[in-house]
Amino acid sequence: MPGRAYPCCVSLAPVQEEVTATGGDVAPDTPWITIVWNDPVNLMSYVTWVLQNHFGYSRKKSEKLMMDVHTKGRAVVANGTREAMEADTEALHGYGLWATFQKDD
Amino acid sequence: MARGFRRKGSGAHTRYAAQLDPLERATVAGLMDQVRALLDPPAPVPEGGDDFAAIVAGLGMGVTVAAEDQGGLNASDAGRDPALDRLLPTANRQDDEMAAEFRRLTETGLRQRKAAALQTAADLLRGDDKVRLGQDQARALLTALTDVRLVLGERMGLRTDDDVAVLEAAAEHLDPDHPLGYALAVYDFLTWLQETLASAMLER
Repeated sequence: MPGRAYPCCVSLAPVQEEVTATGGDVAPDTPWITIVWNDPVNLMSYVTWVLQNHFGYSRKKSEKLMMDVHTKGRAVVANGTREAMEADTEALHGYGLWATFQKDD
Repeated sequence: MARGFRRKGSGAHTRYAAQLDPLERATVAGLMDQVRALLDPPAPVPEGGDDFAAIVAGLGMGVTVAAEDQGGLNASDAGRDPALDRLLPTANRQDDEMAAEFRRLTETGLRQRKAAALQTAADLLRGDDKVRLGQDQARALLTALTDVRLVLGERMGLRTDDDVAVLEAAAEHLDPDHPLGYALAVYDFLTWLQETLASAMLER
């Protein structure tokens, strides 16, 4: 089963993002992002569950991202190194979500 | 009469329980087998109509969708079943080379993991009318239901959120035995079942 088999994702928790932003830690100079796109099949409850389950995001944050996917057509669900974003994308494909990775322009 | 999933117990003893009749279980398990067959041959489906026709025919359980909806409009690779593009979508919309590399590195593993979950889920449904799942089993069933709905949705031509309503409206005027009407009824059942399970798993 996919899921927490991707240790990269631990570092993507929102708390850590904030620390990186304020603490001047080793932020990658070329951040990459993982995007989830809207699709007519995946259920809102399921997308919320996947975001909670894979990224460890709170219910509230997962629901906010899910609503962005639903209403805006897409949402950036993670950022980090290319390798980490590829691993997230692979995991999300495992869950059947329409995910892509790309350089953050 | 089916009863959707509910959470029972808590912590390590959490179970997800539902009640499904034999026909419902056989229908869903049969579709899971079909999707697993779609994923299982690790070699990508080569061009040639025969494989494709076999896959469509193989959807089985009475769930087939009219061929005119199968025009391959969304096929990103020539000859690739569009349903595979829903199960294994492109990972980079800006850079074809990166997308191809990602596919080369991940596709076999993704196919194997999905096939394993589909197998687990189908086996679970072939047990008893009272379906009782532990956490890992529930996860397998939840993702397997997603993959079946993705393929069925693709077969019915679901591309946008609006298509669902359009299909529902169209189905009202169809002959009751029309394959699309039946496919839609099965799709609605899968949606309902997955919704009950996802909601039960979300409760904290």
